[in-house]
Amino acid sequence: RIMPVRWSRYNPNYLEPEPKKEPYQKPLEERTEEEREQMDLKTVRPIKAAPPTMSSSVFNDPLISKFTNMMMKSGNKVLARSLMSQTLEAIKRKQLEKYHKAPENEKETIECNPYVIFHQALKNCQPIIGLSNITKGGKTYQVPIPLTDNRKRFLAMKWLITECRENKHRRTMMPEKLSQELLLAFNNEGPVIKKKHVLHKMAEANRAYAHFRWW
Amino acid sequence: QLDHGCALHAAARDGLSSVSSRDVLAERPRAVFHTSESDPAKHTEQHEGRLYNIPLEEVKAVFPHGLPHRFQQQIQTFNEARLMVRKPALELLACLKGSNFAHPAVRYVIYGERGTGKTMTLCHVVHYCSRQGWLVLHIPDAHLWVKNCKELLQSSYNKDRLDQPLQASAWLKNFKTSNERFLQEIKTQKKYMWGKRESTEEGRPLREVVEQGLARVRSASDAVGVVLRELKQQSHRGSFRLLVAVDGVNALWGRTALSKEDKSPVSPEELTLVHNLRKMVMNDWSGGAIVTTLSQTGSLFKPSSAYTPQELLGKEGFDALDPFVPIPVPNYSPREFESCYGYYLERKWLQHEKAHTEDGKAELRFLSGSNPRQLERLAGPL
Repeated sequence: RIMPVRWSRYNPNYLEPEPKKEPYQKPLEERTEEEREQMDLKTVRPIKAAPPTMSSSVFNDPLISKFTNMMMKSGNKVLARSLMSQTLEAIKRKQLEKYHKAPENEKETIECNPYVIFHQALKNCQPIIGLSNITKGGKTYQVPIPLTDNRKRFLAMKWLITECRENKHRRTMMPEKLSQELLLAFNNEGPVIKKKHVLHKMAEANRAYAHFRWW
Repeated sequence: QLDHGCALHAAARDGLSSVSSRDVLAERPRAVFHTSESDPAKHTEQHEGRLYNIPLEEVKAVFPHGLPHRFQQQIQTFNEARLMVRKPALELLACLKGSNFAHPAVRYVIYGERGTGKTMTLCHVVHYCSRQGWLVLHIPDAHLWVKNCKELLQSSYNKDRLDQPLQASAWLKNFKTSNERFLQEIKTQKKYMWGKRESTEEGRPLREVVEQGLARVRSASDAVGVVLRELKQQSHRGSFRLLVAVDGVNALWGRTALSKEDKSPVSPEELTLVHNLRKMVMNDWSGGAIVTTLSQTGSLFKPSSAYTPQELLGKEGFDALDPFVPIPVPNYSPREFESCYGYYLERKWLQHEKAHTEDGKAELRFLSGSNPRQLERLAGPL
Protein backbone atom coordinates (compact mmCIF):
# COMPACT_ATOMS: atom_id res chain seq x y z
CA ARG A 1 0.00 0.00 0.00
CA ILE A 2 1.24 3.48 -0.79
CA MET A 3 1.28 5.55 2.39
CA PRO A 4 0.35 9.19 1.92
CA VAL A 5 3.42 10.57 3.63
CA ARG A 6 3.32 14.21 2.70
CA TRP A 7 -0.30 15.09 3.46
CA SER A 8 -1.43 12.82 6.27
CA ARG A 9 -1.22 14.33 9.72
CA TYR A 10 -0.93 11.03 11.50
CA ASN A 11 2.18 10.04 13.42
CA PRO A 12 3.99 7.31 11.40
CA ASN A 13 3.46 5.05 14.43
CA TYR A 14 -0.22 4.64 13.60
CA LEU A 15 -1.31 1.44 11.83
CA GLU A 16 -4.11 0.92 9.32
CA PRO A 17 -7.45 -0.50 10.57
CA GLU A 18 -8.44 -4.04 9.48
CA PRO A 19 -12.20 -4.41 8.77
CA LYS A 20 -12.29 -8.17 8.01
CA LYS A 21 -12.57 -10.67 10.83
CA GLU A 22 -10.79 -13.63 9.12
CA PRO A 23 -7.21 -12.59 10.13
CA TYR A 24 -8.29 -12.42 13.78
CA GLN A 25 -10.07 -15.76 13.72
CA LYS A 26 -7.04 -17.64 12.35
CA PRO A 27 -5.48 -19.88 15.03
CA LEU A 28 -1.88 -19.09 16.04
CA GLU A 29 -0.28 -22.07 14.32
CA GLU A 30 -1.48 -21.14 10.83
CA ARG A 31 -0.06 -17.63 10.91
CA THR A 32 3.19 -16.92 9.08
CA GLU A 33 6.11 -15.01 10.67
CA GLU A 34 5.06 -11.65 9.23
CA GLU A 35 1.49 -12.06 10.33
CA ARG A 36 2.61 -12.90 13.84
CA GLU A 37 4.80 -9.81 13.91
CA GLN A 38 1.91 -7.73 12.57
CA MET A 39 -0.42 -9.00 15.32
CA ASP A 40 2.18 -8.24 18.00
CA LEU A 41 2.62 -4.77 16.59
CA LYS A 42 -1.13 -4.20 16.75
CA THR A 43 -1.16 -4.84 20.46
CA VAL A 44 1.24 -1.94 21.13
CA ARG A 45 0.80 0.60 18.36
CA PRO A 46 -2.22 2.93 18.04
CA ILE A 47 -4.55 2.52 15.02
CA LYS A 48 -5.88 5.21 12.66
CA ALA A 49 -9.58 6.07 12.52
CA ALA A 50 -11.45 4.07 9.89
CA PRO A 51 -12.84 6.16 6.98
CA PRO A 52 -16.64 6.09 6.59
CA THR A 53 -16.38 4.13 3.32
CA MET A 54 -14.68 1.19 5.05
CA SER A 55 -17.25 -1.44 6.05
CA SER A 56 -16.97 -4.89 7.60
CA SER A 57 -20.17 -6.05 5.91
CA VAL A 58 -19.95 -9.14 3.68
CA PHE A 59 -22.10 -7.32 1.12
CA ASN A 60 -19.65 -4.45 0.68
CA ASP A 61 -18.42 -3.95 -2.89
CA PRO A 62 -15.68 -1.36 -3.67
CA LEU A 63 -16.87 -0.77 -7.25
CA ILE A 64 -20.43 -0.09 -6.12
CA SER A 65 -19.15 2.30 -3.43
CA LYS A 66 -17.05 4.17 -6.00
CA PHE A 67 -20.03 4.45 -8.33
CA THR A 68 -22.25 5.69 -5.49
CA ASN A 69 -19.67 8.34 -4.63
CA MET A 70 -19.60 9.51 -8.23
CA MET A 71 -23.41 9.74 -8.30
CA MET A 72 -23.43 11.77 -5.08
CA LYS A 73 -24.25 15.48 -5.31
CA SER A 74 -23.21 17.99 -2.64
CA GLY A 75 -22.36 15.28 -0.16
CA ASN A 76 -25.80 13.67 -0.04
CA LYS A 77 -24.57 10.10 0.36
CA VAL A 78 -27.90 8.93 1.82
CA LEU A 79 -29.72 9.83 -1.40
CA ALA A 80 -26.98 8.41 -3.65
CA ARG A 81 -26.97 5.11 -1.76
CA SER A 82 -30.75 4.79 -1.83
CA LEU A 83 -30.76 5.49 -5.59
CA MET A 84 -28.11 2.79 -6.05
CA SER A 85 -30.07 0.21 -4.05
CA GLN A 86 -33.27 1.07 -5.95
CA THR A 87 -31.35 0.62 -9.23
CA LEU A 88 -30.08 -2.82 -8.20
CA GLU A 89 -33.57 -3.80 -7.11
CA ALA A 90 -35.07 -2.58 -10.41
CA ILE A 91 -32.51 -4.62 -12.42
CA LYS A 92 -33.28 -7.68 -10.29
CA ARG A 93 -37.04 -7.31 -10.73
CA LYS A 94 -36.83 -6.93 -14.51
CA GLN A 95 -34.54 -9.93 -14.87
CA LEU A 96 -36.61 -12.10 -12.50
CA GLU A 97 -39.81 -11.33 -14.42
CA LYS A 98 -38.08 -12.32 -17.64
CA TYR A 99 -36.71 -15.44 -15.95
CA HIS A 100 -40.08 -16.63 -14.65
CA LYS A 101 -41.77 -16.10 -17.99
CA ALA A 102 -39.04 -17.75 -20.08
CA PRO A 103 -39.28 -21.42 -21.17
CA GLU A 104 -37.09 -23.99 -19.39
CA ASN A 105 -34.20 -24.16 -21.87
CA GLU A 106 -33.64 -20.40 -21.85
CA LYS A 107 -33.69 -20.03 -18.09
CA GLU A 108 -29.95 -20.61 -17.66
CA THR A 109 -29.01 -17.89 -20.13
CA ILE A 110 -30.83 -15.16 -18.18
CA GLU A 111 -28.57 -13.53 -15.60
CA CYS A 112 -30.47 -12.39 -12.51
CA ASN A 113 -27.68 -11.24 -10.20
CA PRO A 114 -27.63 -7.41 -10.31
CA TYR A 115 -23.98 -7.28 -9.16
CA VAL A 116 -22.80 -9.53 -11.99
CA ILE A 117 -24.76 -7.42 -14.48
CA PHE A 118 -23.30 -4.21 -13.05
CA HIS A 119 -19.69 -5.44 -13.20
CA GLN A 120 -20.08 -6.85 -16.69
CA ALA A 121 -21.81 -3.71 -17.98
CA LEU A 122 -19.02 -1.50 -16.65
CA LYS A 123 -16.41 -3.78 -18.17
CA ASN A 124 -18.16 -3.57 -21.52
CA CYS A 125 -18.20 0.23 -21.32
CA GLN A 126 -14.50 0.64 -20.59
CA PRO A 127 -12.50 2.08 -23.54
CA ILE A 128 -9.17 0.42 -24.42
CA ILE A 129 -7.44 3.45 -25.82
CA GLY A 130 -7.92 7.14 -25.09
CA LEU A 131 -7.07 10.49 -26.61
CA SER A 132 -5.07 13.32 -25.10
CA ASN A 133 -4.31 16.87 -26.25
CA ILE A 134 -0.60 17.38 -27.06
CA THR A 135 0.64 20.79 -28.25
CA LYS A 136 3.47 20.69 -30.77
CA GLY A 137 4.60 23.63 -32.88
CA GLY A 138 1.70 25.84 -31.82
CA LYS A 139 -1.02 23.34 -32.84
CA THR A 140 -2.87 20.92 -30.50
CA TYR A 141 -3.30 17.36 -31.73
CA GLN A 142 -5.55 14.59 -30.40
CA VAL A 143 -3.05 11.81 -29.74
CA PRO A 144 -4.06 8.22 -28.98
CA ILE A 145 -2.60 7.04 -25.64
CA PRO A 146 -2.91 3.92 -23.49
CA LEU A 147 -5.13 4.30 -20.41
CA THR A 148 -4.55 3.01 -16.92
CA ASP A 149 -7.12 0.75 -15.25
CA ASN A 150 -8.27 3.49 -12.94
CA ARG A 151 -8.80 5.91 -15.82
CA LYS A 152 -10.79 3.29 -17.79
CA ARG A 153 -13.07 2.60 -14.82
CA PHE A 154 -13.53 6.31 -14.20
CA LEU A 155 -14.42 7.04 -17.83
CA ALA A 156 -16.96 4.18 -17.96
CA MET A 157 -18.69 5.32 -14.78
CA LYS A 158 -18.63 8.98 -15.81
CA TRP A 159 -20.18 8.29 -19.21
CA LEU A 160 -22.89 6.14 -17.66
CA ILE A 161 -23.85 8.79 -15.11
CA THR A 162 -23.83 11.73 -17.55
CA GLU A 163 -25.85 9.72 -20.05
CA CYS A 164 -28.48 8.93 -17.42
CA ARG A 165 -28.63 12.48 -16.13
CA GLU A 166 -28.99 14.20 -19.48
CA ASN A 167 -30.77 11.96 -21.96
CA LYS A 168 -33.90 11.11 -20.04
CA HIS A 169 -37.46 12.35 -19.91
CA ARG A 170 -38.16 14.86 -17.15
CA ARG A 171 -40.45 12.45 -15.30
CA THR A 172 -38.36 9.22 -15.38
CA MET A 173 -36.60 8.43 -12.13
CA MET A 174 -32.85 7.89 -12.03
CA PRO A 175 -32.98 4.23 -10.85
CA GLU A 176 -35.29 3.31 -13.72
CA LYS A 177 -33.11 5.00 -16.36
CA LEU A 178 -29.89 3.65 -14.85
CA SER A 179 -31.23 0.09 -14.75
CA GLN A 180 -32.25 0.41 -18.41
CA GLU A 181 -28.79 1.67 -19.41
CA LEU A 182 -27.00 -1.02 -17.39
CA LEU A 183 -29.04 -3.78 -19.01
CA LEU A 184 -28.31 -2.37 -22.48
CA ALA A 185 -24.60 -2.10 -21.69
CA PHE A 186 -24.64 -5.68 -20.40
CA ASN A 187 -25.82 -6.77 -23.85
CA ASN A 188 -23.29 -4.50 -25.62
CA GLU A 189 -25.96 -2.14 -26.94
CA GLY A 190 -26.96 1.35 -25.93
CA PRO A 191 -25.59 4.90 -26.13
CA VAL A 192 -22.63 4.40 -23.76
CA ILE A 193 -21.21 1.56 -25.85
CA LYS A 194 -21.68 3.74 -28.91
CA LYS A 195 -19.67 6.50 -27.27
CA LYS A 196 -16.88 4.03 -26.53
CA HIS A 197 -16.87 2.92 -30.19
CA VAL A 198 -16.77 6.56 -31.35
CA LEU A 199 -13.71 7.14 -29.16
CA HIS A 200 -12.01 4.04 -30.55
CA LYS A 201 -12.70 5.21 -34.13
CA MET A 202 -11.24 8.67 -33.40
CA ALA A 203 -8.13 7.05 -31.95
CA GLU A 204 -7.83 4.80 -35.02
CA ALA A 205 -8.26 7.83 -37.28
CA ASN A 206 -5.50 9.74 -35.48
CA ARG A 207 -3.03 6.86 -35.63
CA ALA A 208 -0.57 9.03 -37.52
CA TYR A 209 0.04 11.26 -34.49
CA ALA A 210 0.78 8.35 -32.16
CA HIS A 211 4.53 9.08 -32.30
CA PHE A 212 3.92 12.48 -30.64
CA ARG A 213 3.58 10.65 -27.38
CA TRP A 214 6.82 10.66 -25.42
CA TRP A 215 5.94 8.46 -22.43
CA GLN B 1 -81.35 -16.92 3.17
CA LEU B 2 -78.15 -16.00 1.44
CA ASP B 3 -75.71 -18.58 0.25
CA HIS B 4 -72.97 -19.06 2.85
CA GLY B 5 -70.72 -21.10 0.64
CA CYS B 6 -67.44 -20.03 -0.76
CA ALA B 7 -68.10 -16.95 -2.82
CA LEU B 8 -65.06 -17.39 -4.97
CA HIS B 9 -63.70 -19.56 -7.66
CA ALA B 10 -65.35 -22.94 -7.68
CA ALA B 11 -62.28 -24.25 -9.48
CA ALA B 12 -60.07 -23.22 -6.57
CA ARG B 13 -62.35 -25.08 -4.20
CA ASP B 14 -62.15 -28.27 -6.26
CA GLY B 15 -58.36 -28.01 -6.43
CA LEU B 16 -58.23 -27.71 -2.65
CA SER B 17 -60.38 -30.72 -1.89
CA SER B 18 -58.04 -32.93 -3.91
CA VAL B 19 -54.98 -31.78 -1.93
CA SER B 20 -55.47 -32.80 1.69
CA SER B 21 -54.27 -30.66 4.52
CA ARG B 22 -51.10 -32.65 5.23
CA ASP B 23 -48.01 -30.49 5.34
CA VAL B 24 -45.36 -30.63 2.72
CA LEU B 25 -42.72 -32.47 4.79
CA ALA B 26 -43.40 -35.82 3.20
CA GLU B 27 -43.49 -34.44 -0.34
CA ARG B 28 -40.75 -32.87 -2.39
CA PRO B 29 -38.09 -30.99 -0.38
CA ARG B 30 -39.75 -27.82 -1.63
CA ALA B 31 -40.23 -26.22 1.63
CA VAL B 32 -40.53 -26.78 5.28
CA PHE B 33 -41.72 -23.22 5.37
CA HIS B 34 -44.49 -23.54 2.82
CA THR B 35 -47.88 -25.03 3.44
CA SER B 36 -50.33 -26.30 0.90
CA GLU B 37 -53.24 -25.26 3.12
CA SER B 38 -54.76 -22.42 1.18
CA ASP B 39 -57.89 -21.94 3.30
CA PRO B 40 -57.39 -19.60 6.29
CA ALA B 41 -60.20 -21.37 8.16
CA LYS B 42 -58.00 -24.45 8.55
CA HIS B 43 -54.86 -22.64 9.74
CA THR B 44 -53.75 -23.75 13.21
CA GLU B 45 -50.62 -23.39 15.39
CA GLN B 46 -49.11 -26.16 13.34
CA HIS B 47 -49.00 -23.78 10.39
CA GLU B 48 -47.41 -20.98 12.35
CA GLY B 49 -44.39 -19.45 10.60
CA ARG B 50 -45.33 -20.96 7.26
CA LEU B 51 -46.36 -19.21 4.08
CA TYR B 52 -49.57 -20.07 2.30
CA ASN B 53 -50.50 -19.34 -1.28
CA ILE B 54 -53.46 -17.25 -2.42
CA PRO B 55 -54.43 -17.96 -6.06
CA LEU B 56 -54.05 -14.87 -8.23
CA GLU B 57 -57.71 -14.75 -9.29
CA GLU B 58 -58.74 -14.66 -5.64
CA VAL B 59 -56.30 -11.84 -5.02
CA LYS B 60 -57.93 -9.75 -7.72
CA ALA B 61 -61.41 -10.50 -6.42
CA VAL B 62 -60.81 -10.14 -2.67
CA PHE B 63 -58.14 -7.41 -2.57
CA PRO B 64 -58.84 -4.82 -5.27
CA HIS B 65 -57.40 -2.17 -2.96
CA GLY B 66 -56.20 -3.68 0.30
CA LEU B 67 -52.62 -4.84 -0.13
CA PRO B 68 -49.53 -2.70 0.58
CA HIS B 69 -47.71 -1.40 -2.50
CA ARG B 70 -44.48 -3.35 -1.92
CA PHE B 71 -46.44 -6.58 -1.53
CA GLN B 72 -48.20 -5.96 -4.84
CA GLN B 73 -44.83 -5.48 -6.54
CA GLN B 74 -43.66 -8.74 -4.95
CA ILE B 75 -46.74 -10.56 -6.26
CA GLN B 76 -45.95 -9.31 -9.75
CA THR B 77 -42.27 -10.31 -9.60
CA PHE B 78 -42.73 -13.77 -8.10
CA ASN B 79 -46.01 -14.48 -9.94
CA GLU B 80 -47.62 -15.71 -6.72
CA ALA B 81 -49.07 -14.24 -3.53
CA ARG B 82 -47.69 -15.85 -0.34
CA LEU B 83 -48.78 -14.69 3.08
CA MET B 84 -47.14 -15.76 6.32
CA VAL B 85 -49.35 -17.30 9.00
CA ARG B 86 -48.45 -15.61 12.28
CA LYS B 87 -49.65 -15.81 15.86
CA PRO B 88 -51.67 -12.54 16.05
CA ALA B 89 -53.66 -13.57 12.96
CA LEU B 90 -54.31 -17.03 14.41
CA GLU B 91 -55.57 -15.47 17.66
CA LEU B 92 -57.91 -13.17 15.74
CA LEU B 93 -59.25 -16.03 13.62
CA ALA B 94 -59.89 -18.10 16.75
CA CYS B 95 -61.79 -15.18 18.31
CA LEU B 96 -63.85 -14.73 15.15
CA LYS B 97 -64.68 -18.43 14.93
CA GLY B 98 -65.85 -18.51 18.53
CA SER B 99 -67.78 -15.25 18.59
CA ASN B 100 -71.52 -15.09 19.13
CA PHE B 101 -73.17 -13.06 16.41
CA ALA B 102 -76.28 -12.23 18.40
CA HIS B 103 -74.17 -10.01 20.66
CA PRO B 104 -72.98 -6.53 19.61
CA ALA B 105 -69.99 -6.51 17.28
CA VAL B 106 -66.61 -6.97 18.99
CA ARG B 107 -63.87 -4.49 18.09
CA TYR B 108 -60.31 -5.69 17.54
CA VAL B 109 -57.43 -3.22 17.33
CA ILE B 110 -54.18 -4.49 15.80
CA TYR B 111 -51.23 -2.40 16.93
CA GLY B 112 -47.45 -2.65 16.87
CA GLU B 113 -44.31 -0.85 15.84
CA ARG B 114 -43.62 0.24 12.30
CA GLY B 115 -43.34 -2.46 9.70
CA THR B 116 -44.22 -5.46 11.88
CA GLY B 117 -47.07 -6.78 9.72
CA LYS B 118 -50.30 -5.17 10.94
CA THR B 119 -51.74 -4.58 7.46
CA MET B 120 -50.80 -8.12 6.39
CA THR B 121 -52.59 -9.53 9.45
CA LEU B 122 -55.65 -7.52 8.46
CA CYS B 123 -55.45 -8.89 4.92
CA HIS B 124 -55.22 -12.44 6.27
CA VAL B 125 -58.41 -11.89 8.29
CA VAL B 126 -60.16 -10.29 5.29
CA HIS B 127 -59.23 -13.31 3.16
CA TYR B 128 -60.64 -15.67 5.80
CA CYS B 129 -63.89 -13.75 6.02
CA SER B 130 -64.38 -13.59 2.28
CA ARG B 131 -63.72 -17.35 2.07
CA GLN B 132 -66.40 -17.87 4.72
CA GLY B 133 -68.83 -15.78 2.70
CA TRP B 134 -68.99 -12.66 4.84
CA LEU B 135 -69.61 -9.18 3.42
CA VAL B 136 -66.30 -7.39 3.76
CA LEU B 137 -66.22 -3.61 4.13
CA HIS B 138 -62.49 -2.97 3.64
CA ILE B 139 -61.18 0.57 3.88
CA PRO B 140 -57.54 0.28 2.77
CA ASP B 141 -56.23 3.39 4.50
CA ALA B 142 -58.38 5.88 6.38
CA HIS B 143 -55.47 8.36 6.27
CA LEU B 144 -56.07 8.84 2.53
CA TRP B 145 -59.43 10.38 3.39
CA VAL B 146 -58.02 13.08 5.69
CA LYS B 147 -55.15 14.35 3.58
CA ASN B 148 -54.25 15.28 0.00
CA CYS B 149 -57.82 15.85 -1.10
CA LYS B 150 -58.00 17.83 -4.35
CA GLU B 151 -61.74 18.52 -4.30
CA LEU B 152 -63.85 19.34 -1.29
CA LEU B 153 -67.51 20.02 -1.99
CA GLN B 154 -70.06 21.29 0.45
CA SER B 155 -72.45 18.47 1.19
CA SER B 156 -76.00 18.89 -0.11
CA TYR B 157 -77.42 16.67 2.65
CA ASN B 158 -76.03 18.62 5.59
CA LYS B 159 -74.80 22.18 5.19
CA ASP B 160 -71.93 21.92 7.73
CA ARG B 161 -70.27 18.88 6.22
CA LEU B 162 -67.81 18.51 3.36
CA ASP B 163 -67.87 15.88 0.64
CA GLN B 164 -64.95 14.11 -1.01
CA PRO B 165 -66.14 12.89 -4.42
CA LEU B 166 -62.83 11.44 -5.69
CA GLN B 167 -62.02 9.26 -2.70
CA ALA B 168 -65.63 8.14 -2.30
CA SER B 169 -65.98 7.09 -5.95
CA ALA B 170 -62.63 5.24 -5.91
CA TRP B 171 -63.72 3.33 -2.81
CA LEU B 172 -67.14 2.51 -4.27
CA LYS B 173 -65.53 1.08 -7.42
CA ASN B 174 -63.32 -1.26 -5.39
CA PHE B 175 -66.20 -2.18 -3.06
CA LYS B 176 -68.23 -3.20 -6.07
CA THR B 177 -65.56 -5.60 -7.41
CA SER B 178 -65.09 -7.33 -4.08
CA ASN B 179 -68.74 -7.85 -3.08
CA GLU B 180 -70.64 -8.37 -6.33
CA ARG B 181 -73.20 -10.92 -5.24
CA PHE B 182 -74.18 -9.22 -1.98
CA LEU B 183 -75.04 -5.99 -3.75
CA GLN B 184 -77.59 -7.86 -5.84
CA GLU B 185 -79.23 -9.51 -2.86
CA ILE B 186 -79.46 -6.78 -0.21
CA LYS B 187 -82.39 -4.44 -0.69
CA THR B 188 -82.79 -0.85 0.47
CA GLN B 189 -85.33 -0.14 3.19
CA LYS B 190 -86.04 3.49 2.54
CA LYS B 191 -86.46 5.84 -0.36
CA TYR B 192 -83.36 8.01 -1.01
CA MET B 193 -83.41 11.28 -2.97
CA TRP B 194 -80.30 12.24 -4.92
CA GLY B 195 -80.84 15.91 -5.68
CA LYS B 196 -84.18 17.09 -7.09
CA ARG B 197 -84.89 14.54 -9.78
CA GLU B 198 -83.16 11.26 -9.11
CA SER B 199 -84.15 8.85 -6.40
CA THR B 200 -83.77 5.23 -5.42
CA GLU B 201 -87.03 3.49 -4.43
CA GLU B 202 -87.49 1.24 -1.45
CA GLY B 203 -86.70 -2.42 -2.10
CA ARG B 204 -84.19 -1.83 -4.91
CA PRO B 205 -80.90 -3.77 -4.72
CA LEU B 206 -77.96 -1.92 -3.18
CA ARG B 207 -76.16 -2.23 -6.48
CA GLU B 208 -78.25 0.66 -7.80
CA VAL B 209 -77.12 2.92 -4.97
CA VAL B 210 -73.49 2.09 -5.76
CA GLU B 211 -74.00 2.69 -9.45
CA GLN B 212 -75.72 5.97 -8.70
CA GLY B 213 -72.69 7.00 -6.64
CA LEU B 214 -70.33 6.05 -9.46
CA ALA B 215 -72.38 7.76 -12.16
CA ARG B 216 -73.02 10.98 -10.27
CA VAL B 217 -69.68 11.66 -8.65
CA ARG B 218 -71.03 14.65 -6.74
CA SER B 219 -73.24 12.44 -4.60
CA ALA B 220 -70.66 9.66 -4.17
CA SER B 221 -70.01 10.41 -0.48
CA ASP B 222 -73.75 10.33 0.23
CA ALA B 223 -73.96 7.01 -1.62
CA VAL B 224 -71.24 5.65 0.66
CA GLY B 225 -73.21 6.90 3.68
CA VAL B 226 -76.36 5.16 2.44
CA VAL B 227 -74.51 1.89 1.85
CA LEU B 228 -73.00 1.91 5.34
CA ARG B 229 -76.36 2.73 6.92
CA GLU B 230 -78.21 -0.04 5.10
CA LEU B 231 -75.57 -2.64 5.95
CA LYS B 232 -75.61 -1.67 9.62
CA GLN B 233 -79.37 -1.87 9.88
CA GLN B 234 -79.69 -5.17 8.07
CA SER B 235 -76.77 -7.07 9.56
CA HIS B 236 -78.55 -8.10 12.78
CA ARG B 237 -81.08 -10.12 10.81
CA GLY B 238 -78.46 -12.79 10.23
CA SER B 239 -78.80 -13.25 6.52
CA PHE B 240 -75.18 -12.19 6.06
CA ARG B 241 -72.22 -11.48 8.31
CA LEU B 242 -70.54 -8.11 8.12
CA LEU B 243 -66.82 -7.49 8.60
CA VAL B 244 -65.70 -3.88 8.91
CA ALA B 245 -61.95 -3.80 8.24
CA VAL B 246 -60.36 -0.37 8.63
CA ASP B 247 -56.64 0.22 8.18
CA GLY B 248 -55.29 3.30 9.96
CA VAL B 249 -58.31 3.86 12.17
CA ASN B 250 -56.47 6.55 14.11
CA ALA B 251 -57.15 8.90 11.20
CA LEU B 252 -60.81 9.11 12.18
CA TRP B 253 -60.01 10.98 15.40
CA GLY B 254 -57.34 13.67 15.47
CA ARG B 255 -56.64 16.39 12.94
CA THR B 256 -56.83 16.53 9.18
CA ALA B 257 -54.39 18.18 6.79
CA LEU B 258 -57.23 19.73 4.79
CA SER B 259 -58.51 23.29 4.97
CA LYS B 260 -61.60 25.08 3.75
CA GLU B 261 -61.56 27.87 1.18
CA ASP B 262 -61.08 30.49 3.86
CA LYS B 263 -57.99 28.59 5.06
CA SER B 264 -59.59 27.46 8.34
CA PRO B 265 -58.69 23.90 9.35
CA VAL B 266 -61.19 21.08 8.84
CA SER B 267 -61.85 18.75 11.74
CA PRO B 268 -62.64 15.10 10.95
CA GLU B 269 -66.33 15.36 11.99
CA GLU B 270 -66.92 17.80 9.16
CA LEU B 271 -66.11 15.20 6.52
CA THR B 272 -69.09 13.03 5.50
CA LEU B 273 -66.98 9.93 4.88
CA VAL B 274 -65.30 10.12 8.29
CA HIS B 275 -68.60 10.87 10.04
CA ASN B 276 -70.30 7.82 8.54
CA LEU B 277 -67.31 5.59 9.19
CA ARG B 278 -67.26 6.58 12.85
CA LYS B 279 -70.88 5.49 13.13
CA MET B 280 -69.94 2.19 11.53
CA VAL B 281 -67.13 1.54 13.99
CA MET B 282 -69.48 1.96 17.02
CA ASN B 283 -70.49 -1.33 18.56
CA ASP B 284 -74.25 -0.72 18.55
CA TRP B 285 -74.96 -3.30 15.83
CA SER B 286 -74.71 -7.08 15.86
CA GLY B 287 -74.06 -9.84 13.38
CA GLY B 288 -70.40 -9.29 12.54
CA ALA B 289 -67.07 -7.95 13.74
CA ILE B 290 -64.93 -4.83 13.45
CA VAL B 291 -61.20 -5.35 12.88
CA THR B 292 -59.03 -2.23 12.78
CA THR B 293 -55.34 -1.39 12.55
CA LEU B 294 -53.45 1.53 14.00
CA SER B 295 -50.87 3.06 11.74
CA GLN B 296 -48.26 5.67 12.49
CA THR B 297 -46.78 5.85 8.97
CA GLY B 298 -49.68 7.72 7.36
CA SER B 299 -50.80 9.56 10.46
CA LEU B 300 -50.79 13.31 10.81
CA PHE B 301 -49.18 15.29 13.60
CA LYS B 302 -48.16 12.24 15.61
CA PRO B 303 -44.52 11.52 16.65
CA SER B 304 -42.81 8.70 14.83
CA SER B 305 -42.12 6.73 18.01
CA ALA B 306 -45.83 6.44 18.91
CA TYR B 307 -47.35 3.02 18.42
CA THR B 308 -49.64 2.25 21.37
CA PRO B 309 -53.42 2.77 21.06
CA GLN B 310 -53.39 5.44 23.78
CA GLU B 311 -50.84 7.59 21.92
CA LEU B 312 -52.17 7.19 18.41
CA LEU B 313 -55.92 7.37 19.02
CA GLY B 314 -55.78 10.24 21.48
CA LYS B 315 -58.33 10.65 24.25
CA GLU B 316 -61.32 11.07 21.92
CA GLY B 317 -60.55 8.05 19.79
CA PHE B 318 -59.72 5.82 22.74
CA ASP B 319 -63.02 6.69 24.46
CA ALA B 320 -64.93 6.08 21.25
CA LEU B 321 -63.31 2.71 20.64
CA ASP B 322 -63.19 1.87 24.32
CA PRO B 323 -64.15 -1.74 24.91
CA PHE B 324 -61.82 -3.30 22.30
CA VAL B 325 -59.59 -6.36 22.10
CA PRO B 326 -55.96 -5.22 21.59
CA ILE B 327 -53.79 -7.49 19.44
CA PRO B 328 -50.07 -6.65 19.49
CA VAL B 329 -48.00 -7.67 16.47
CA PRO B 330 -44.31 -8.27 17.28
CA ASN B 331 -41.27 -8.55 14.99
CA TYR B 332 -40.37 -11.91 13.44
CA SER B 333 -39.58 -14.75 15.83
CA PRO B 334 -36.40 -16.77 14.90
CA ARG B 335 -38.58 -19.40 13.22
CA GLU B 336 -40.49 -16.85 11.17
CA PHE B 337 -37.23 -15.17 10.15
CA GLU B 338 -35.83 -18.51 8.94
CA SER B 339 -39.01 -19.12 7.02
CA CYS B 340 -38.93 -15.69 5.33
CA TYR B 341 -35.22 -16.01 4.51
CA GLY B 342 -35.75 -19.47 3.05
CA TYR B 343 -38.61 -18.18 0.91
CA TYR B 344 -36.48 -15.37 -0.53
CA LEU B 345 -33.70 -17.84 -1.29
CA GLU B 346 -36.05 -20.24 -2.95
CA ARG B 347 -37.64 -17.56 -5.14
CA LYS B 348 -34.15 -16.35 -6.11
CA TRP B 349 -34.80 -12.95 -4.58
CA LEU B 350 -31.48 -12.98 -2.67
CA GLN B 351 -29.01 -13.05 -5.56
CA HIS B 352 -25.79 -11.92 -3.86
CA GLU B 353 -23.36 -14.86 -3.39
CA LYS B 354 -22.65 -13.91 0.21
CA ALA B 355 -26.36 -13.79 1.04
CA HIS B 356 -26.49 -17.60 0.82
CA THR B 357 -23.84 -18.01 3.55
CA GLU B 358 -24.33 -18.17 7.31
CA ASP B 359 -22.46 -14.87 7.71
CA GLY B 360 -24.82 -13.15 5.29
CA LYS B 361 -27.86 -14.52 7.11
CA ALA B 362 -26.53 -13.39 10.49
CA GLU B 363 -25.82 -9.97 9.05
CA LEU B 364 -29.35 -9.66 7.60
CA ARG B 365 -30.83 -10.70 10.92
CA PHE B 366 -28.75 -8.12 12.77
CA LEU B 367 -29.30 -5.24 10.35
CA SER B 368 -33.06 -5.75 10.09
CA GLY B 369 -33.57 -6.49 13.79
CA SER B 370 -36.05 -9.18 12.65
CA ASN B 371 -38.38 -6.42 11.47
CA PRO B 372 -40.31 -7.65 8.41
CA ARG B 373 -40.24 -4.34 6.55
CA GLN B 374 -36.52 -3.74 7.15
CA LEU B 375 -35.74 -7.26 6.03
CA GLU B 376 -37.68 -6.75 2.83
CA ARG B 377 -35.99 -3.41 2.13
CA LEU B 378 -32.54 -4.86 2.81
CA ALA B 379 -33.13 -7.92 0.67
CA GLY B 380 -34.17 -5.71 -2.26
CA PRO B 381 -30.77 -4.69 -3.60
CA LEU B 382 -29.02 -7.90 -2.48
